[in-house]
Amino acid sequence: MKAGLVSSAAFAAFAFFSPIAAAQQQALTAPADPAAVERGQQLMTTECGFCHGSNARGGSSGPDLTRSELVQLDENGKQLGEFLRAGRPDKGMPRFEFTDAQNADLAAFLHAQIYLNSNRRLYKILNILVGDPKAGETYFNGAGGCRSCHSPGGDLKGIGAKYADPVALQGRMVLPRGVPPGGAPMPAHRAPNMLKVTVTPPSGGAVSGTLVRLNDFEVTLYDPKSQQMRSWLRSGDVPKVVVTDPLQGHVDLLPKWTDADMHNVTAYLAGLK
Amino acid sequence: MNIAMIRALIQHQGHKGHRRSVLYILFFVSVVSLVSTGSSTVRGQSQKLDPALLGKPPVDAWPTYHGDYSGRRYSTLKQINTGNVKNLTLAWVYRLNTSINGAIVGGEGSGPAPGAPASTPSIKSTPLMLNGALYFSAPDHVWALDARTGREIWHYFWKTRGGDHIGNRGVGMYGEWLYFLTPDNYFVSLDTATGKERWHRVIANMKREYFSTNAPIIIGRHVIVGVGGDALDIPGYLESRDPESGEVIWRFNTTPRPGQPGAETWPDEYSMSSGGGMPWIPGTYDPELNLYYFGTGNPQPVLTGQSRPGDNLYTCTIVALNPDTGKMVWHYQVTPHDTHDWDAAQTPVLIDGVIDGQPRKLVAQASRNGHFFLLDRTNGKHILTTRLIDSANWTKGINAKGQPAHDPGKDAAVAGTLVSPDTGGATNWPPPSFSPDTGLLYVGTRQSYSIMYLTDTDPRPQGWAAAERTVGAVGSELKAIDYKTGKVRWSRPLAMTAGGSQGGAMGLLSTAGGVLFGNDGGGNFVAYDAGNGKPLWRAGLGVNTSNGPQTYLLDGRQFVVVGAGDVLYAFALQP
Repeated sequence: MKAGLVSSAAFAAFAFFSPIAAAQQQALTAPADPAAVERGQQLMTTECGFCHGSNARGGSSGPDLTRSELVQLDENGKQLGEFLRAGRPDKGMPRFEFTDAQNADLAAFLHAQIYLNSNRRLYKILNILVGDPKAGETYFNGAGGCRSCHSPGGDLKGIGAKYADPVALQGRMVLPRGVPPGGAPMPAHRAPNMLKVTVTPPSGGAVSGTLVRLNDFEVTLYDPKSQQMRSWLRSGDVPKVVVTDPLQGHVDLLPKWTDADMHNVTAYLAGLK
Repeated sequence: MNIAMIRALIQHQGHKGHRRSVLYILFFVSVVSLVSTGSSTVRGQSQKLDPALLGKPPVDAWPTYHGDYSGRRYSTLKQINTGNVKNLTLAWVYRLNTSINGAIVGGEGSGPAPGAPASTPSIKSTPLMLNGALYFSAPDHVWALDARTGREIWHYFWKTRGGDHIGNRGVGMYGEWLYFLTPDNYFVSLDTATGKERWHRVIANMKREYFSTNAPIIIGRHVIVGVGGDALDIPGYLESRDPESGEVIWRFNTTPRPGQPGAETWPDEYSMSSGGGMPWIPGTYDPELNLYYFGTGNPQPVLTGQSRPGDNLYTCTIVALNPDTGKMVWHYQVTPHDTHDWDAAQTPVLIDGVIDGQPRKLVAQASRNGHFFLLDRTNGKHILTTRLIDSANWTKGINAKGQPAHDPGKDAAVAGTLVSPDTGGATNWPPPSFSPDTGLLYVGTRQSYSIMYLTDTDPRPQGWAAAERTVGAVGSELKAIDYKTGKVRWSRPLAMTAGGSQGGAMGLLSTAGGVLFGNDGGGNFVAYDAGNGKPLWRAGLGVNTSNGPQTYLLDGRQFVVVGAGDVLYAFALQP
């Protein structure tokens, strides 16, 4: 699972073999000298921004410098400085006689921009509270069927205050599996809202607990009463295995609700302070 | 090493001087057995590959990524079959040796790069097998093993300069040479017998966040390699490299430049020339048609299309090109204007089948976007499209060309859109399998949801431009698809844990013995009945298999080899 992309440690349970499971690795590294980046930004704004945009992504007449191969391959302003000293007069790009230090600052700013573009772990999610809380309340009490398990004065009392981050709230609302965001990590079978299973051997005596593992060959559960795991080898339908999901209502909603419904209910819950 | 070889090298200027051709004259001398530290299996045997092997179903060799050019990953071997597979047993185990001590060392870096994984790499490559030796790789490493015993013959260690070490699909063979790519974008050739490096060449620059994972595919005198990387907005390309000199013979850009066909599917030069389309998975080849088939990656920026209205050819496309010239002959785009990272790099599997009573040359792809496609591989003409998973919620149906129609309402938005599948897709790079005996294409699938948040609202967004928050998976299945109808003949639910459904994409192998080898998403390596999906045997490896299984006959014994994490396992029947 891509580091930083997941708000809850318990979600890692879903990524047993996920192609997106591996942490993103990068060739580029974070800027070493923030002061140089700041000086470079000032230089960019005053000298280059008119044509290339203040964020260096291109402007009215100059190309996107963050996608420029010359900039991307530059080393500490060396190649950039050589280019700037010559300019590209045939294309309307004037010469710039910056000092080596200025070229290095400019390069530091551009490389910092490129690094921020490339590193999705650092992307900041914007304001997601754009839904209509009234519509969300209507959906909650009606079509969403949320009311059958939840109530604003009961289990959801103060939920908006509990989740300072609306992104965490929205994620939790969609499928509240496992440890809530910020909670202490624990084994998946001891976390809340996990799958349950009942195993009935041919001899009778059904055993229920949290599902630890189920495949064609074995079934393992965690019995919260005895705090023990129990396992059985499987052969076809023996022993009998019935899996239940305490979050079935949430799972059933996944293909049903629209994004607007989701935004509205998030806005409604965020207001339950 | 215990192969003695005298090599006289005569190098001369090639035709027209634009590339050097190197003539190697080899003299094999009878081996004097020295004190052996490893195996003696390959002693005295040539490690030279007869190129004719590449076009035949694999029996006593596995000389290319898919075993042969077809991408079927089907073996005609039947020593192991549905009747006796329950007796399959462990032949040997090899745990990856990644130590630099005792290795043959190459590379331009100073050692393991800052940020390089401290943990041992996972085996994603399919080992090649020739004359009793296996050759496989992981990022920065290549190993040769004795295929009978699993003992190491040599280990090559590449000192990296960095880059994304997410995986390496394997090595390619030509003559007595091996070829592989590195995370820091070097194309390296080794001597197959000794593991000694011949040369290395740069194919891309990691300062632009290119990284290379592909297994080279060899067609005639072309070593075909593709680049990867999608952290920045960079152009994708596929290259043919000369097997002797390592220099470029041709380069195919996966996105057009102004004035070229396909340019009309982009708004401007800016977007198309930095538009992605990484060909990061090995393709397939039809020698009769002389066409190389490969899938291309997603367009850039990855999760938003606001700066690139249009279909964005040739991203998310199955491309057929002439390997002699690098010129495209036809294309079929399976996801026009992708906005979810669903590259179409998955194996285009070549099927010689019958449609409406007529024998047809076909190509099939179980695609990451959640659909199965069947095309005529002579001309790219669409035959059918079906849904691979039920949960896919991002289309407005199938258009007249058979393509899933993009629903802009499911693009990443500031407040989030709930999308299925997640960016990992309904399936992914692990190779599927097709059995001509059953007429079924086997693929591991996953039904997952994510919320996609647009984070970069600039008119010129960059990189991924959005953040993904994984919701979970609601049903992973191994599916067997009838290629004629695209319908699922049988499916098998994969493992579950407390958190829900596990597994999904997996490497698969089918055999004439009626067996389908794969995993169950729950840490078992499983032999299924290819006809009905019934599990017949398993090895509880504890972690899921991580590569495509392969099989070979050696000394009259059929071996099945598979990687799971950092361990390679071989299974066989007790003699």
